[in-house]
Amino acid sequence: MQNFYAGLAEILEVPVEQITPSFSLSEHNWDSMAVISCVALIDEEFGHIVSGSELVKCTSVADIQKLIPTATAG
Amino acid sequence: MSQCSVKGITLRGVVCALPQHRVENDYFTGRFDEKTIKDVTELTGVSTRYMAAPEQTASDLCFAAADRLLEDLNWPRESVDAVIFVSQTPDQRMPATACILHGRLGLAPHCQAFDVGLGCSGYVYGAWLVSALMAIGLRRVLLLAGDTSSRMVDPNDRSTALLFGDAGSATAFEYDANAPLCYFDLGTDGKGANFLTVAGGGFRPVDPQATDANYLHMDGSSVFGFTIGTVPKLIKATLEQASTTKDQVDLFALHQANRFILRHIGKKLSLTPEQLPINIDQFGNTSSASIPLLLCADRVEQITTTPTTMLMAGFGVGLSWGAALFKDVQLQCASVITV
Repeated sequence: MQNFYAGLAEILEVPVEQITPSFSLSEHNWDSMAVISCVALIDEEFGHIVSGSELVKCTSVADIQKLIPTATAG
Repeated sequence: MSQCSVKGITLRGVVCALPQHRVENDYFTGRFDEKTIKDVTELTGVSTRYMAAPEQTASDLCFAAADRLLEDLNWPRESVDAVIFVSQTPDQRMPATACILHGRLGLAPHCQAFDVGLGCSGYVYGAWLVSALMAIGLRRVLLLAGDTSSRMVDPNDRSTALLFGDAGSATAFEYDANAPLCYFDLGTDGKGANFLTVAGGGFRPVDPQATDANYLHMDGSSVFGFTIGTVPKLIKATLEQASTTKDQVDLFALHQANRFILRHIGKKLSLTPEQLPINIDQFGNTSSASIPLLLCADRVEQITTTPTTMLMAGFGVGLSWGAALFKDVQLQCASVITV
């Protein structure tokens, strides 16, 4: 999960300490390019392909984690 | 996916044709802000691309490439048994552009000519069709693949305006009884047909008020998810079918969709940069021409001087995908021209 948070911080251009399940995506450049990068990140870290259209609807980091079967919240 | 292997087909030469108008990223300054251009460039990898002149079509580019190819190979025009034109930007609604090209190239009446309306997967589908034609007795076939996608992009859509480039290609295939088996793996997922579309130009009525019906629409994240979910499996299945390891493949010639996608696939399959050339930075995504353009622009010496085992893979609009593995290919000519 640490690598996932680090990757997400890089995508959203924020310090890694800020990434928690409650982190709000809608306030931080959660655009189509961030979604594409996140699809790749989840594939790399969890070997799971999430749908871009599902990902784009996420409003928090916890929402993303719910889409990944092997990722537990927190 | 459908798999098959075919004996007796080999590549003799490839020529690609680019339009003269080279467009750098600063061309887009003013339409997009600096950060957008920087972010898109980082993701797609495209620094320059070539755009066709207003009166120039994909068939003009393919014609120039084919004309040069026939000269370079010293193939008499009457020796060509079939010409296949793969494109999503044909000259007219009718006749088939392949028939127009047949006339311009001065090919013989016995020569078959037909179009295939595929994009990013089209080159591999074309190669598979060539192999099927050779299996029933044809001996020399020209595969012409090219697109002028720049004509279809919405200049204000950041996800496509900077991505695409125009190019045409001509590849000469010949029957050779001694050629090793070549392997194909092809597939389709029509449920993703709406991920990449141009709604206008066909016969299905479009909203007459719609101003963007003739523009290309791309659901980038869905196409990306499809690609990384499908292509590594496709490549693994093709290698398995051919009883070949990835280390035995000298060249993975992948459709140049986007640099981020290509690097991700390379990482997933542990391919070296030497095995997986990327040239989207120079030409953009050239749709059906990107695989031959990779061969002509980046690997001329390798493929003309050394028997090369290459795996080609095309994937995208359809959704459609295909891979082809050719062993010990050595071409007589490969070049890029501008017209």
